[in-house]
Amino acid sequence: MNLKQGITLMSSLLVLGLGAEAGAVCVQTGASQADRDLWNTHGCWQDYFLWQYRAYGLRSGDWSGRGWNDACNVSLEFPKHWNASYLVNYGLEDDWWQSFHGTVDYRATAEAASSRYHDSLYHSITDRTDVFGTFTPRFWPWDTDRVQTACPLYNPAATNSNPGSRAGDYMHEGWHAYFDKYNFNNGSVGGHRPGPQGACTINGCDYFYFHGIGEYAFGAMWENDGTANRFHSPNQVQVEFLCDVADQPQWWIPNSVRQSAAADANRRAVSRFINGPGYSCGSPRPW
Amino acid sequence: MQSSKWRVITRAGAAVVVLGIAPVSVALAAGEEPGSIEGSSIPPSKVIAERPLYRPPPLTGQGDEARKNAKAFVTWAGESVSLEQEAGRKVLREAAKNPEIVKALTEEALEAQRNGDTSRGLVALGLLGEMRTYDGAKFLVEFVRMPLPREGTYIEGELQEEALQAMLQAKAVAGLAYMRSADFDREVLYQAGKHPSVIVRAEAISAYLWNQGDSLEARKLLSSYVRPEERLFLDRVRRVAGEGAETFNKKLALYLEAHPELKAPKPEPKEPRPPEEKPYIFDENPPEF
Repeated sequence: MNLKQGITLMSSLLVLGLGAEAGAVCVQTGASQADRDLWNTHGCWQDYFLWQYRAYGLRSGDWSGRGWNDACNVSLEFPKHWNASYLVNYGLEDDWWQSFHGTVDYRATAEAASSRYHDSLYHSITDRTDVFGTFTPRFWPWDTDRVQTACPLYNPAATNSNPGSRAGDYMHEGWHAYFDKYNFNNGSVGGHRPGPQGACTINGCDYFYFHGIGEYAFGAMWENDGTANRFHSPNQVQVEFLCDVADQPQWWIPNSVRQSAAADANRRAVSRFINGPGYSCGSPRPW
Repeated sequence: MQSSKWRVITRAGAAVVVLGIAPVSVALAAGEEPGSIEGSSIPPSKVIAERPLYRPPPLTGQGDEARKNAKAFVTWAGESVSLEQEAGRKVLREAAKNPEIVKALTEEALEAQRNGDTSRGLVALGLLGEMRTYDGAKFLVEFVRMPLPREGTYIEGELQEEALQAMLQAKAVAGLAYMRSADFDREVLYQAGKHPSVIVRAEAISAYLWNQGDSLEARKLLSSYVRPEERLFLDRVRRVAGEGAETFNKKLALYLEAHPELKAPKPEPKEPRPPEEKPYIFDENPPEF
């Protein structure tokens, strides 16, 4: 191989790589009512998305063809990603007597920065349809942990394509990063335990570590004492976040967002825990 | 042999170069800002302040007009906030006298289900439940009895199409329980034990108890329908909007005392990994709301 051939080969590889990245996307034909309703509360707030991509460590290459340069098109993945994080930043009431945890906890779990909640991570996206999201720990000490969210959180006809469920997945994957930071093993099935077992009906089960309201000060969700007395699992953090969106949001959070969050919380609570169902939340009154 | 060696060396060299370029391109790309020509500089507090509150659209009419108005009302109900719920409920009470509107709302619910928009489907079904009409409740019964999909996409062993429908059916069963009538209660009790999805069974149990004021009689009657392995659901802790630590924590303490088997085992440790070398620090505050 001469130099010219080498350059041609490298160019081809690069073009193929970039082409594959740009060509593969989730369904981009629309957004759920909950996404649109939340979106209408900000109308595409530029200052926020210019802050958000740094707070979540987004890399333009991962999001090209997905709204990186069309950040106000709510049919696309990047706008949906930041629409969900906007909910985390501003959408919770933070009432210490009523909320399970505070914005400070949920933000630190979801965002990229190294903290007491996890080592540094960055948010990326995958076209997989067989997962909601994944957490990939770094291989080298100088590398960075990766959270990927997948098409079932973005495709408009997917069950979890709403801001609460999407942000709920940021909590879930962020809590896998927490397990890696504090060296806990949550099982061999994608960081969960095999199932069905106990009250868990799926294959990817957790335990629920029940705690009362006010038991964790805001900013203390990361605390654990190495026992089941003070601990959280990924699905539990997700359920508690969804319940706080459903029951303790800011007054301006649309009902569609709250109801979707409650439905997702209740579905998870009865299907993902070995030691019985988690809390039930959301109003039992239909509307 | 030599040529073969050279091919190996040059290919390895090319791979090194490609691998070397890739992180550089990612690193460069990481510096690029997202953008849009439509971005707004108005903070959400101002956007929200401009949305008029307490103005639900009319829910009246016949035929096509009823359908159009029902569509607009579901859209309004989705974007409405909790402060507006009473205004919406007042309109629903009036509209309950109009069978064309009830029918139009059932069509909205079915359309949302067909389109896979769970969030809109939940709103439409919730409105039907809130209306408390015989026709609406009859539709909810049919909806809850629809067979669950058997094929589709699995995530962690959960069939997504089935979960989607079950979440909507759970909303429908909550509407039936809210009827608080003997006829529809029978359906709720039946579904509490017999529905194929635990998502619906759990909601039937919770909604029935809540609508019966969590009375001992209701619990006793319900317990004869609930599956033996799901009797725990009768005691399950429910948190509702606005509930404070005092009542919730009492309920939780009683629940855990009655069910010591719920105690999770001690978390398992694993081998520590080397500490990260270059922590990402980002302490810039988000923009003012």
